[in-house]
Amino acid sequence: MRLSFLEVFRYTRVDSVIHRLDPRAKLVMSTVGAIVSLMFLDIIPLVIILCVLIPLLAAAKSLRRWARSMKGLGALIVFIMVFNTLYSTSPTPFSYSLSLALRLVALMTSFSLFFLTVHPDELSQALIQMHVRFEFAFAMSMAMRYVPTLGQEAYAIMDAQKARGVELDKGNLLRRIRNIVPIIVPLIIVSIRRALSVAESMESRGFGACENRTYMEELHFTRRDWLVVAISLSIAILSICVRVWWGLPAWMLWKFPF
Amino acid sequence: MIIFEDVHFAYDQIYPALRGVSLQIDDGESIAVMGTNGAGKTTLIKHMNGLLRPDQGRVIVNGVDAREKSVAELSRTVGLVWQNPDHQLFLDTVEKEIMFGLRNLGYTADEAEERCHRTLTQLGLEHLAERSPFALSGGERKRVALASVLATEPDVLALDEPTIGQDAGQKERLAKMLREMNYEGKTVIVVTHDIEFAVDHFSRTIAMAAGIIIADGPTHDVLSNDLVLEACSLTPPQMTVTARALHQVFPEIPQRLTHLDELEDVILKIVGGEG
Amino acid sequence: MALIEWQDFSFKYLGANTLALKHLNLSIEEGEYVVVTGPSGCGKTTLCRTINGLVPQFHRGYIAGHVIVDSRDTRDHTVAQMASIVGLVFQNPANQLVTLSVEKEIAFGPENLGVPPDEIRRRVEEMIDAFDLHHLRDKHPHEMSGGEQQRVALAATLALKPKILVADEPTSNLDPQSAERILELIAEQNRRGMTVVLVEHRLDIVAKDASRIVLMNEGSVVADGPPHEVLQMDICEEIGVGVPKAVQLYKRLLANGVRLGRVPLTGSELAMLVKEAATG
Repeated sequence: MRLSFLEVFRYTRVDSVIHRLDPRAKLVMSTVGAIVSLMFLDIIPLVIILCVLIPLLAAAKSLRRWARSMKGLGALIVFIMVFNTLYSTSPTPFSYSLSLALRLVALMTSFSLFFLTVHPDELSQALIQMHVRFEFAFAMSMAMRYVPTLGQEAYAIMDAQKARGVELDKGNLLRRIRNIVPIIVPLIIVSIRRALSVAESMESRGFGACENRTYMEELHFTRRDWLVVAISLSIAILSICVRVWWGLPAWMLWKFPF
Repeated sequence: MIIFEDVHFAYDQIYPALRGVSLQIDDGESIAVMGTNGAGKTTLIKHMNGLLRPDQGRVIVNGVDAREKSVAELSRTVGLVWQNPDHQLFLDTVEKEIMFGLRNLGYTADEAEERCHRTLTQLGLEHLAERSPFALSGGERKRVALASVLATEPDVLALDEPTIGQDAGQKERLAKMLREMNYEGKTVIVVTHDIEFAVDHFSRTIAMAAGIIIADGPTHDVLSNDLVLEACSLTPPQMTVTARALHQVFPEIPQRLTHLDELEDVILKIVGGEG
Repeated sequence: MALIEWQDFSFKYLGANTLALKHLNLSIEEGEYVVVTGPSGCGKTTLCRTINGLVPQFHRGYIAGHVIVDSRDTRDHTVAQMASIVGLVFQNPANQLVTLSVEKEIAFGPENLGVPPDEIRRRVEEMIDAFDLHHLRDKHPHEMSGGEQQRVALAATLALKPKILVADEPTSNLDPQSAERILELIAEQNRRGMTVVLVEHRLDIVAKDASRIVLMNEGSVVADGPPHEVLQMDICEEIGVGVPKAVQLYKRLLANGVRLGRVPLTGSELAMLVKEAATG
């Protein structure tokens, strides 16, 4: 249960400049961050990227949660670095593995900038206003709503089956896989029954009544949002030009001699 | 016999659920455990069959520290019946469901079959033996779940909120069955917030709040205490309300009456006397 | 014409062996507070679902007769179309909350019906005030107790401004204090003019507010009348309905030759009647 690096993807109720931006602007921002991270495999550019992203996270008052999730990634980063330093065919294996690690961090940080500052309802609304069908956007937010409930249900089922003698932590791999059946089957059945019950309630409140569904809170782009989009796109274009035509200046290509 | 010695338990070691619980349950008792959600009632009974182990203190079941036995072993002595039968049903037929628990708990094929048929008959489920549990009604599924626990003939039967959604007739039948088990010497423990059910059928009540036991004694005493009722989010039993209202008018009527018979006698005396 | 009318209505669920409802003839007028009760399987849950059309539109089966609600035949209208007339509150609170906050939940119904955003906002605030949900405004359903969840479900249903409130055992999963609060909120709605149809086992709490009790067994109505009449009938105990203890005492006293002024529905009423009988 302690998958702390997933913490990065959880929204909490905070107010900051970044939080107040339109989620669509943040989507552009994060996507650009990810793309740019993927374009470079040199230490300095990646560090620069991080030096842009991390202050943004600070502005979003989310540094502590980001740090916690990076700690969760720690094992993976160490593994990447050790593995690549030992087996890479590059002339400077350590620098190469450091770049890989930095790239991973930059990618995760770009995504966390989005997920830590966008409420699932905002994401849903953004998708709807980008002309995704309401049913799909709603299914996504309903799934999030029921995740904790489903988790609780799974624990209750495990308790019930343990009391009937099902031993979940013993036996070889095959045995353990077979022991999933007494957990999965009730979970599926319970979920189906719940789905029917939920559907009744939703229909009784008019779900699907009309095509022109209204929304209490609509998203509107402000000048700040346009500015963010403009800056992000400029950075993206600049990076593409550098990568494809101009090339990085010499000082940016510096790396460790090993 | 079940003994709790100053048991402390916190979920994930962070969220305290039991904060120093000590109690003793003798064989053959019938006990209602009451309290708000989060008071620790379900946590308490999960310690009885080993699903949870104390962080501090001990749980002793029939003279042996529960820690020395596995959940499967303890389940032969303490049978837990859950509120939602769908949390355990997963096989094709009712018979297989009941055999599943029996075989896991170590009974031979013959013993298991014998017990299975006995229990099916006891609960009036023989005609459903070959049916799929999923095709049964809610009430029938509850009986199948109950049967699968009763088949192991545990000494202690603990039920978690068995009266939710049940009509008066079903509750009466359940109470009757639990009474019969009591007569056979089994200990019956019921976690419930149905105060009428507790008052009508259980001689002892343990009231819990915030992880500690705030009252433990004869049901009539515990459930006449307004502080206890308030702490457990309960409302006074119907007869207590009536007795109190009568007491306002006729001070000679004690406020603590909780049985229909008692009130009937008292009222007849008043009205008969002056009528 | 009555607000809700069952005209020789019968229904059998697909795959079932028996009729869930048999030749039902019943009518409910505007402003009534009808409590429907009976043993498990008597058809009361099916009855609730016929009022807003879930039966037969959502639950398929074999149907005979008609149910007319506010002059609309439920055969010819979708459940969504009935949503602004009939509000249905269900037994399990958690399964009625589908969004991530209370505000969104209350807005859900009106949004579905295409109500203008300002009006939705106004209704959300109105419901939060009426049901004292201020401190729960941003909470996720998982962070609320059963009683709070059910209050939100009630608010979310009433946000559609229906004429009829149907509640199917809304207090089953709740502790006694929360149960009383919900039932009081429902009684309050009726006092303000809402027509209420409530399925409930705890007759000791609701009998005093109900204008009528409908007793069902095996798909048919076996008794229908004011609470003090229906509850003293022997059939209640025969079919396994939980009769309030005050009424049980009344009957026992009667059996002993003591007749109280009227049938009491609560403990305090009983006390008053005993006083009258003793001093009269």
